[in-house]
Amino acid sequence: MSENNYLQVDHLVKYFGDDRAVDGISFGIPEGKFLTLLGPSGCGKTTTLMCIAGLHKPDAGEIRIGADPVTSIENRINTAPEKRNIGMVFQSYAIWPHMDVSQNVAYPLEIRNMAQSEIDDRVAEALEIVGLTDMADKNATQLSGGQQQRAALARAMVFRPRLLLFDEPLSNLDLKLREQMRVELKRIQHEIGITSIYVTHDQAEALVMSDEIIVMSKGHIEQTGGPHSIYARPVNKFVSDFIGVANLTEGRIVSNGGGGSGTIEISQGGESVQLPCLLADGLAEGDDAFLSVRPENVDASRQPKDGPRIEGEVIQSVFLGNCLDCRVKWGEFEWKVLAHSRERLRVGEKVYVRLDPDHTLAVRP
Amino acid sequence: MATDTAAPQIDVAPPRGWRTWFTQENIITTIVGLIVAVAVIVPLVALVINSFLVLDDLGFDTEWGLQNYRDIFQGRVIKKALINTAIISTGCTILATLLGVSLAWINARTNCPFREQLEPFNLIPFFLSPFVGAIAWHNLASPKVGLLNNMAKSAFGIDFPLFNVNNLWGVIWVTGIFFAPLVYLFVVGSLRRMDPSLEDSARTTGAGLLRTTFTITLPLVTPAILSGAIIVFVTTAGEFGVPFKLSAPFGWETLTTQIFTKAVGDDANHYLGAAMSMVVGVVTAFFIWIQHRIIAPRSYTTVTGKGFRPNLIDLGGWKWLAFAYNVFYVCVAVVLPIICLFFVSLHKIWSGRIIWSELTFWNYQKVLFFWWPESIDAATNGIINSFILAFGGASIAMVVAIIVSYMIHRTKGYGARVLDFLSVIPIGFPGIVLAMGVLVTYIKTPIYATLWILLLGYITRFFPYGQRNISSIMMAVSEELDQSSRMAGATWLTTLRRITIPLLKPGIFAGWILLFVIFLRELSISIILYSAGTETLSVGVYYLSNFENEPMTSALSIAQTVALLICVVIFRKVAGKEALTA
Repeated sequence: MSENNYLQVDHLVKYFGDDRAVDGISFGIPEGKFLTLLGPSGCGKTTTLMCIAGLHKPDAGEIRIGADPVTSIENRINTAPEKRNIGMVFQSYAIWPHMDVSQNVAYPLEIRNMAQSEIDDRVAEALEIVGLTDMADKNATQLSGGQQQRAALARAMVFRPRLLLFDEPLSNLDLKLREQMRVELKRIQHEIGITSIYVTHDQAEALVMSDEIIVMSKGHIEQTGGPHSIYARPVNKFVSDFIGVANLTEGRIVSNGGGGSGTIEISQGGESVQLPCLLADGLAEGDDAFLSVRPENVDASRQPKDGPRIEGEVIQSVFLGNCLDCRVKWGEFEWKVLAHSRERLRVGEKVYVRLDPDHTLAVRP
Repeated sequence: MATDTAAPQIDVAPPRGWRTWFTQENIITTIVGLIVAVAVIVPLVALVINSFLVLDDLGFDTEWGLQNYRDIFQGRVIKKALINTAIISTGCTILATLLGVSLAWINARTNCPFREQLEPFNLIPFFLSPFVGAIAWHNLASPKVGLLNNMAKSAFGIDFPLFNVNNLWGVIWVTGIFFAPLVYLFVVGSLRRMDPSLEDSARTTGAGLLRTTFTITLPLVTPAILSGAIIVFVTTAGEFGVPFKLSAPFGWETLTTQIFTKAVGDDANHYLGAAMSMVVGVVTAFFIWIQHRIIAPRSYTTVTGKGFRPNLIDLGGWKWLAFAYNVFYVCVAVVLPIICLFFVSLHKIWSGRIIWSELTFWNYQKVLFFWWPESIDAATNGIINSFILAFGGASIAMVVAIIVSYMIHRTKGYGARVLDFLSVIPIGFPGIVLAMGVLVTYIKTPIYATLWILLLGYITRFFPYGQRNISSIMMAVSEELDQSSRMAGATWLTTLRRITIPLLKPGIFAGWILLFVIFLRELSISIILYSAGTETLSVGVYYLSNFENEPMTSALSIAQTVALLICVVIFRKVAGKEALTA
């Protein structure tokens, strides 16, 4: 199956001093897809990207683009970055301040000794795609952050590279522009159909843009999947905690009903409750696990409903219009609940917490 | 999609990496790194070795021993020279610090009138030759031929010499006024960058203006003051020209004048000279180490890097006193010396008073007209050689500086740290000390007695100045600008040529001109390494002063000063106001 991948990374290892920044990870991506490496700072995502770019040399592993092995430490291959034909958009945009926008975009083509007429055509086309046609003669210093971002993208794709790499390209923009550029970047990537790898620590960005997400921490891959499955079915505590907001509490698997469902027992202050849940792969009866459920899948009401009963006290209730953002204290644990606004729960009230069994997960520690 | 989450643990040792080593980047940076390492380290090692070789009584053979060091600390002449050096360095540091801090405060923080016009003049002594300053002050204030003394005599009938600079006080005075800009540059930048809210909050607690200045402002810039003071101390300890001109002929020798006589004098003893150089070098290197390690890192903790425009302090009527003080400084450091040299240079014989009827440009013909048979070779050679050395030296030193800065800031690992260290070392050793090392290293090689040995000495001693200029910009320029060029398909060299160097251009120009100025006035390296035919401008001045007369000396001094002043103007045009204060 890995032969079908356009980019394939195998057993990549990179040290910084004695610190194993990338710890033997492997992944791949089919042609034309948008892959995101997502994780907190220091998880090795940027290092991985730099190894693909050829700007860092890994200590072990292989990287293949199409049929071309650009890095294979075992075979003493490590193609120089300029020979890899990869476009890259940097966090700081890296627009050269001593050139204007069209000179910036033309640079990769000049390096490739193209005819001037073709350079002009390609630059115009690239600027058109990113919507900077009017800015061609402007100096880099005269551009806004978002415009520099677009110029960097035009420069990265103008020479029709095999891959496009993005190193947290939106992190220096303000929130509104960031949301706008997310959609824009995805549109352009889709339009030119180029295989892309995107590095970010912003989970919202990853969820909006990606075909496939790889969640990383401490140099490892924690989980791989599409945006929906990463959000709805995190496999372990880290992913559940890192993506979105989740209620996470320690528990133990008491039964495995087969078909991926089972029962988890959680306890607080001598009180135990057994909850039906979906089991992450590899969890068996008797295993320690974490219960993970998102606040929107938790409800709180004054009247008890069917099923397992969790009784607690409202300690915070914030009216958000369409819902109530509540905290319900149960023993030492605080449930994060998005309750229906008609409930009008008040601080100090006794309520019953109910988890939606279809979205209650047991994840690996 | 084929992703392998449960990758097997692979056992790989931390990087060894000799495999794909031969890249443009690695080859070029390694070669330059090795050259720098050899150039810096070999002379110092040679100095250490030679300092433990003792010349026997006949002066033919040597043996290992500590006798050189015993001579320094027990011999009458050298021990006195050591004490004199300590007195001069301490005195100069105090005077230069008082001048530098007060002038910086007046210019940066008060409403002193015309301070923006005065500022460039406060920095001029930084670019001029202290040796020429000493010659000027000798003609202004020596007991017999001093212009000021003779004017006092004819105007007020004062019959005894009012001033006398032919002693340690004279050396302290001249070095003090010439090195004050070093302190000024360190302090003025800190004062300008200081967050005004630190002072404002002191004012709100009820502290007055002066109280705030002395309890908040000055303590906050103490690291900058200490840095400047240490640089002055070290520079003075290695200063050769001023004591050589003002005090040595009158019995006040210093270590540097002693090193000079041991290097080239009649009783040349390179081994004893090396030992004396070691003593100076150990002290100066220790101080520079303290500055680099302990003081410099602290100077940014209290002073933020933001471009504040601090509130100016209204001095009221006192502002005219501040103005007068600043004008006085510019007069004694720049205006008076130049005017005096100019008048002296117009006389055939200088007797301490201006004789209006006998003014002539004859001296300028003697020292400048190299095509004229009666011109003095040492002077005319000096002009040509100095421009060759300054042009070539500044160019080569900047190439080295660029590559070394690149290695320090853009490559990781052990080499970067070693180079960072190597480019601090030369700053810790005065020119005369390093020149002794270069001399004993290369005296038996073909480059001795050529311009090459001077070039080598200049570059080794001063490339760190250019490197600092480049580094400060390189730290501000994101590495991603280089990396994105590589990703666009450019090789390392193309990236260097088309991206890195163009971005560094302002720093390269500023550094180049700074080095050009330094090389054009360089004395203490040249005086050790020159020989007949390879004189430099300052050596020419030395030669005229020693073997010809004061008017001719003054003429060449004026020529050098004019060349340096032109450089100052260009430097300010190219580098802008703030370039030096970084």
